[in-house]
Amino acid sequence: MRDKTGLTLLFLMPVVLITVMALIQDAPFKDYQEVKFDILTVDNDHGRLGRHIREGLASGGQFRIIDTLDGKPLTAEQARKLVNEGTYKISIIIPAGATGNIVSNANRIVNDISHRMGMTVSLPVKKNADSLDVTIYFDPAAKKAFKGAVHQAIDNFLTQVETDMLLGRIRQELRRKDSSVTAANDTLPIRLQAVGLKEEATGSGKQIDVISNSVQHNVPAWSIFAMFFIVIPIAGNMIREREDGSLLRMKLIPGSYLEILLGKMLFFVGICVVQFYCMMLVGIYIMPLLDLPKLVMGRDAGATFLVAAAIGLAATSYGILIGTLFKTPNQALNFGAISIVILSAIGGIWIPLEIMPQKMQVIGHLSPLSWGLDAINDIYLRNGNIAYVWKNVVLLIITGLVMLAIAGYVEKRRMN
Amino acid sequence: MSSIAVKELYKTYAGAEEPTLKGLTFSFRKGSIAGLLGPNGAGKTTTISILCGLVKASSGEVLINGLSQDAHHREAIKKQIGVVPQRIALYPQLSAVENLTYFGNLYGFRGKALKTRIMELLEAFGLEKSADKEIHKFSGGMKRRANIIAAILHSPSLLVLDEPTAGVDVQSRTMILQFLREYNSKGNSILYTSHLLEEAQSLCSDVAIVDQGRLIVQGNPAQLIDELPDCENLEDVFLHYTGHALRD
Repeated sequence: MRDKTGLTLLFLMPVVLITVMALIQDAPFKDYQEVKFDILTVDNDHGRLGRHIREGLASGGQFRIIDTLDGKPLTAEQARKLVNEGTYKISIIIPAGATGNIVSNANRIVNDISHRMGMTVSLPVKKNADSLDVTIYFDPAAKKAFKGAVHQAIDNFLTQVETDMLLGRIRQELRRKDSSVTAANDTLPIRLQAVGLKEEATGSGKQIDVISNSVQHNVPAWSIFAMFFIVIPIAGNMIREREDGSLLRMKLIPGSYLEILLGKMLFFVGICVVQFYCMMLVGIYIMPLLDLPKLVMGRDAGATFLVAAAIGLAATSYGILIGTLFKTPNQALNFGAISIVILSAIGGIWIPLEIMPQKMQVIGHLSPLSWGLDAINDIYLRNGNIAYVWKNVVLLIITGLVMLAIAGYVEKRRMN
Repeated sequence: MSSIAVKELYKTYAGAEEPTLKGLTFSFRKGSIAGLLGPNGAGKTTTISILCGLVKASSGEVLINGLSQDAHHREAIKKQIGVVPQRIALYPQLSAVENLTYFGNLYGFRGKALKTRIMELLEAFGLEKSADKEIHKFSGGMKRRANIIAAILHSPSLLVLDEPTAGVDVQSRTMILQFLREYNSKGNSILYTSHLLEEAQSLCSDVAIVDQGRLIVQGNPAQLIDELPDCENLEDVFLHYTGHALRD
């Protein structure tokens, strides 16, 4: 408590850390619906397909269509070069005659159906249908998932235009056969999508709809990381006490040294819990000021407190173990800091475990930091309660107690 | 009755080739100022650590004021014993008052009584003006004096000091020795180690010279000097029994 600067830094540095991390990782956490991309469009078709693709891309709000450069229409060669250089991420080249090809194909199908039904319909069809492709250029550095998503979106537009044209032709021919039906009173219900797609929440009706965004991941994750950094002051303090002899004095005082140690532990666990809630407050009140989403803490405050205390216990015990095992502050601080960085990296603090390779996920689940983060995610994202988190809480507590037992054993051996 | 009685004490540290203590046996009567003397590596600090319960003996018996130094009596012994380690066992970043209040609290003292006791002792050791000064700003002598105060906060009947005057100026040493005589005059026992044999000769009523983990000789300093015709002081006696070979 005497070292006010140290105590201030203990709270201030994690706040700076979570703020910076949430800001840096905000973009990667946003899905493609939230990010706007410039898309170079070269429409050599000037027909319905080109119009439909352009309108479709623009309507989602996800893409900004760019079809001119310096007031001049963009060419396919310019588009390819600019994307290759990385100036733009995507370019679409719609070939000349693409709409004609689709119309011709739709006419061929309608002619064929009419003929089989005994009707005499002869819509114009290209004699030699060319094979045309809409070309997409991607920035060579673009991620596979991003390419897949854009590819699928364009493919959907193509299918939709072809389907619309085919249905239009069928409707037109049916209307021609029944002269009483006009465009105004045509009630023919042609609906292709008989079965739709609907997304629903997995939990109960009370479940909070929380998206795993940058704040929702980074604030708890880096808070846990910062809580584990309590290892540094604890280990440093223990080694200093051993070096300056005050530890010796404590051992000479009547009463169990274990009681003194438990008192100190309680203090450090308390510091960890206070640190945790300070950072949650930053997520709730400071993050929105930086144009980031507000942190949502779930509905079970008791379970959250329990998890925070269990993380604090594991972190404090780890500090005591390191302070016991190592003889010099340099050894303890180097090992302590680097081991926490490693445990956090494999434990899903930097990037979620779900996107790591399978083997890393298995290893990651051995890190106490991942148990803490899993428990917090259960409460924050899945609206869980104690029933959701007790296993991780027990794991954290047992690990803490095992580390204390090892420290006690080492200390006892030292006496002998 | 003995304040300290050590019988056939053996200690071998884990991984050590040779035992540090090899059947050490001595006793000091209650109310004496006893000196445990010996060259470097003789086993003095190990013996003191065993007496205080900080290190476990491999075998042998240790009695403190008639109580066996074992797990059963360890707490009772801690209440009767005050230890001044060779190192300054205080928090350097805390002031003298803060250190003494913290350790006083751990001894179970609280409030005004503790405050009064601390101020009395600080005054007795000439540290009252530096009460609020951080320990790391103290001179060597001031640190030694504060180190002693921390050991006698609970008024122990046996005070164990490991080289309490090492590296201090004459004024501080005089004050410390004067305090030890006064503390002893109140019926308390004192066990002290030092390499300053002139100091030990003037202070101690009984000395035990140990070497290589064994007792070499024990008795009153004057008596030990008289027994050896060639020796004029305790240093001569010490060299007579331990030799002139260097100890590293």
